[in-house]
Parts: sequence; structure tokens; C-alpha cells
Amino acid sequence: MEKERLYKIDEREARRPFTVPEGYFDNLTQNIMASLPEQESLYSTKIIVTPWMRIRPYLYAAAAFAGIFFCIKAAVGISTRNNAEIAQTEETTIYSDEYIDSFLETAMIDDYTLYYTLVDAN
Amino acid sequence: MLREDDFSRRRAFEAIVRNFSEQLYWQIRHMVLSHDDANDILQNTFIKAWTNLDSFMGYSRISTWLYRIAVNETLTFLNKQKSNLPLETDDEGELSLADQLESDPYFDGDQTERQLQEAIATLPEKQRMVFNMKYFNEMKYEEISEVLGTSVGALKASFHIAVKKIEEYFNKID
Repeated sequence: MEKERLYKIDEREARRPFTVPEGYFDNLTQNIMASLPEQESLYSTKIIVTPWMRIRPYLYAAAAFAGIFFCIKAAVGISTRNNAEIAQTEETTIYSDEYIDSFLETAMIDDYTLYYTLVDAN
Repeated sequence: MLREDDFSRRRAFEAIVRNFSEQLYWQIRHMVLSHDDANDILQNTFIKAWTNLDSFMGYSRISTWLYRIAVNETLTFLNKQKSNLPLETDDEGELSLADQLESDPYFDGDQTERQLQEAIATLPEKQRMVFNMKYFNEMKYEEISEVLGTSVGALKASFHIAVKKIEEYFNKID
């Protein structure tokens, strides 16, 4: 029986038992629009370019170049120092012309073999 | 148009408010019952939509997006209201709702309609939401599904259970 009663409610147009103040919906859009905050949109915000923003990319580029320059300089410096150290520690054997002449006379060898002979002798 | 300059955005948004404010108002009103509360929640819904307009990517319909915001705002309000209420027995709660509706100048329902509102108020929030959307706002299950993110099958079950509970409520009071 009660099911029938609810069914009747369900069957007829679901009437809203609520009302609103007079003219509420007439002014609703206006009232809502008035309550909206100002919006800083991504699409309309004007970006103010300061002098710092202008020179910043150049400064970054200069800093990057300076960094690269110092890196190269440091690497070359190390390499030069190593060569100088090697030069100081390594001894070069000097052969006299007489030694070479007498060697050539007694040994029948070509230039290639001569080079290796001198290197091995060192 | 929503992505153009501020003036155009406002004009476009105004058209949206004009189109959807009334149906959103009724959805909120059926949940919170009081006109003043519904009005506040509706304002908050549109303020939130306006301030987050850039996050609306257009993957869903704008009405679905607005409904979602309204549902969230309403649930937040109801939870806040619940936490602010002093502890009451169920009887007192029912009486307070009946009194609230009786004294509300913007409620013009008869006794059965008041009892129906009382019965709806006993439902869990989600069921109440589904029942109101379906029964009063005559939304399709597919639309409700998009708004609440629940499957159509689950919504049908939810509505069916809600109707049954309301029937039981009427059975009890007679």
C-alpha cells in the first residue's frame, strides 16, 4: 500500500517543493558575475620585461663561455706541466758525428736499420 | 573564446552562468534544502570554475565539469555542517529537519512532500545525490555517471536502493 503511495509520487511530475525569493533567477547571472574575482589569465597577462630579464641570457652565456675557457686552460696547463716534467726527467743521448760515421762505415745497413740500432743502443 | 582576452572570457563565462546556474542551483538546493546555503554554494561553484578555467581542458562537457565542482562543494559544505552540529539523537535530528522545513519560507510542499524530504535526508550522501539527480533533475544515468565517476550499473542499483529505503520510511511512519 505504501509502495503504491510512493509510486504515485514517482509517477506524477516530480514537483519541487522549494521556492526562491522573487526575481532570484532574473538577477542570478548578474550577481554571480559580480562576485567573480579579477582573473589574471595566462593568455592575457602582459609580461613586463625588466632590464635584468634582458641581460640575463647574455650573462648566462658569458658565464658558460668563461667556464669552458677555464676548463680548457686548466686541462692544457696540466698537459704542458706534464711535458715539462717529462722533459726534465728524460735524458737525451747525444751521439757524435764521428761515432755515427764510423758506425756507418763498419756496418752495412740501411737508414731504417740504422735508426733502430741507435734507438736500441740508447 | 574561453581562451581569449579577459573581456571575451568574461562574456563567454557569463553565457555559461546563464545556461547552467538554475539547474545547478536546484541540484544543490535538493541536497542542502536551505535557499541561503544553496545560493552560497552556487556562488562558490562558479568562483571555483572561474578561477580554474585554465584547467578545464575540454575533455568533458562544461556542464559535467560544473556539476562535478558543484557536487564537491556541496559535499564539503555538508561535511562541514555535520562536524559543526552538536551530538543529537536521531529523533532530535528528524524533528529539527521537520521544523526547518516547516519554518522555511521557501518551502511550499505539503505533508507528503515534507515527509519525502525527510526520507531523502536519511539516505547516505551519495545515494541522496543519485536520487535527487534522477528523480528531481531528471538526469540520465549516463550523465550522472560522468559527474560522479560511477558506473551506470552501480547508479541504477544505488537509485533502486534509495527508492526502497524511502518506501520503508513511508511504511514506518504510517
